[in-house]
Amino acid sequence: MKEVLINAERCLGCRSCEIACAVAHSDSKNLLGAVGETDIPIKRIFVHQAGKRNIALSCRHCEEAPCIDACIAGAMHRTADGLVDNTGGTGECSGCWMCVMVCPYGVIRSEIDRRLALKCDRKCMDESAEPACVRACPTRALKFVVVDEFSRDRRQRFLDAIGNESV
Amino acid sequence: MHIAIIGNSAAGLTAARTIRKIKPSAGITVISDESGPAYARCLIPEILAGVRDIPGIGYATQQFYQDYDINLRSGIKVSSINAVNHKLKLEGGQVIKYDRLLVATGASPVQPGWPGSDLPSVFTLRTASQAVMIRKMAIDCASAVVEGGGLVSLKAAYALKKRGVKDVAVIVRSPHILMKQLDRDSAGLVENDLTSVGIKFYYGTGLAAAIQGPRGELQSVELEDGRQLPAGLVVIGKGVQPNSELIRNAGGKINRGILVNEYLETSLPGIYAAGDCIEVTDSVTGAQVVSGLWTLAVEQGRIAGCNLAGQARKYPPPLTRLNSAQFGSVPFVSVGDVQGGDELAVYQGAGVYRKLCFRDNRLTGFIMAGLVDRAGVYTSLVKQAKKLSAPLKDRLINGKVTGADILPILTRQGGIQ
Ligand SMILES: Cc1cc2nc3c(=O)[nH]c(=O)nc-3n(C[C@H](O)[C@H](O)[C@H](O)COP(=O)(O)OP(=O)(O)OC[C@H]3O[C@@H](n4cnc5c(N)ncnc54)[C@H](O)[C@@H]3O)c2cc1C
Repeated sequence: MKEVLINAERCLGCRSCEIACAVAHSDSKNLLGAVGETDIPIKRIFVHQAGKRNIALSCRHCEEAPCIDACIAGAMHRTADGLVDNTGGTGECSGCWMCVMVCPYGVIRSEIDRRLALKCDRKCMDESAEPACVRACPTRALKFVVVDEFSRDRRQRFLDAIGNESV
Repeated sequence: MHIAIIGNSAAGLTAARTIRKIKPSAGITVISDESGPAYARCLIPEILAGVRDIPGIGYATQQFYQDYDINLRSGIKVSSINAVNHKLKLEGGQVIKYDRLLVATGASPVQPGWPGSDLPSVFTLRTASQAVMIRKMAIDCASAVVEGGGLVSLKAAYALKKRGVKDVAVIVRSPHILMKQLDRDSAGLVENDLTSVGIKFYYGTGLAAAIQGPRGELQSVELEDGRQLPAGLVVIGKGVQPNSELIRNAGGKINRGILVNEYLETSLPGIYAAGDCIEVTDSVTGAQVVSGLWTLAVEQGRIAGCNLAGQARKYPPPLTRLNSAQFGSVPFVSVGDVQGGDELAVYQGAGVYRKLCFRDNRLTGFIMAGLVDRAGVYTSLVKQAKKLSAPLKDRLINGKVTGADILPILTRQGGIQ
């Protein structure tokens, strides 16, 4: 399965991914249209600062996803494609925020008024089969790749390195 | 290999699903005294409110049991376990043989004992069929009384109001609602949310007796302080107790709930237990407590499923305080030990409340009300019980912390995929 990876050394914090994500989840699918929509389109990726670095975070679609365990409505589930999604499952999201309470990455949004948890659902792919955030990234800090053991290791080393700075 | 599972809810169903994934050839029988496929128990207040029907809160479809080749025996109770001969006896006399067994029997509401509490219009709320009965009765009721200030009681009260009951009163013995989850200030925000839809609260007292009308029907209730309140129906929410009799009668060890080892095996070899029926050790306080949460039942169902299918897996002491909800417009989250600690940090803004409890520079619990964004980052830190650096602690306190701040901790734990 392919994953969205972030190379924080390349991330400028320009937030192009955030905008692209919101636009891809809008009705009109373009920036001009999106800003005029009554239900403001909502991003599901977040550019954060950790120490001196920028990191774009979105759902990791975890293998043993705590949000699936926690969902009291049976809405959060694993799709046939291996993604974690709270739409299109057996149950309907009731806005109880159990998933928000247990997601360690903090990447599930609580839309209080709509009583709906929102997260990366990859319903943003185009013909290139890449997510909108990845397509929008001007520095290729975001990549959509099959993760092998080698890059897992490299990523770990990198994360350990920022760990020493920030935690 | 035939694996039998008693209970078709969070723990039982998750175990069945897990076993099927690991062992395609295992025979799996799930037995439940409730009828139909599994449903989301926590959502039965929505049935009471009349906004969803039972299929509308389905947790698994009938098709699921076929797809996973699970033999579902619903609407029938297991009356005893013979742990020596590996046999279950069902009510009616039928016997089922098993190689391994999971007891996922959940918990039952504590029953009230005051005079009149056995009237047909006095309910507890644990099953979908009870919710259906209350819904039917509520439509002709002008007034209802709910006893208890816990989550189930408040969900019931809110649902009764939604159903159209004009006067809904909640009787709370404690000084404020949600004593286990919230402090006075955050409980105040949630109480306002409930009073704004017309629910009334009576504190420091309990129900003493039912007062019946001329035809024996429930007319009102008397409180311990002598006051009387009109009530066409009553819902009692005084907590639950684990369904542990089957294991007790089979000779297994019980304390508050069924005792299990770190593989979730009971003291009876080959018999495992998971969910609301077991006792666990809270990871923050070290206290022995009953499990009591949907989330934990699912987690334990998965671990028990692995062990039943022959894949040994340990279950570390869980965080047993994990609650989130929203009635009207105020969401709230409560995690870990929100009473103890040697240092508190409280933030109060317009309609927003956040309280963090630290011990020894570790986050041991927190409350969020009004705003719950990124609560999971805090929960993760409570779970990790890691000493916090000064900058990270600052970010926690000022509400700026994000997943990016704790990525290294998460990945070292194998959390990133
Ligand atoms: C109104 C309400 C709201 C809730 N809200 C929340 C919430 O927001 N968050 C949260 O974490 N938890 C919540 N809970 C608690 C949650 O529902 C339980 O923790 C969860 O259902 C436990 O799952 P379980 O599989 O262990 O047991 P249960 O769901 O209790 O299921 C056990 C099943 O076994 C059956 N059974 C028992 N004995 C036998 C027998 N001898 N033979 C055959 N069948 C038997 C029972 O009838 C039942 O169907 C709520 C509960 C209620 C009632």
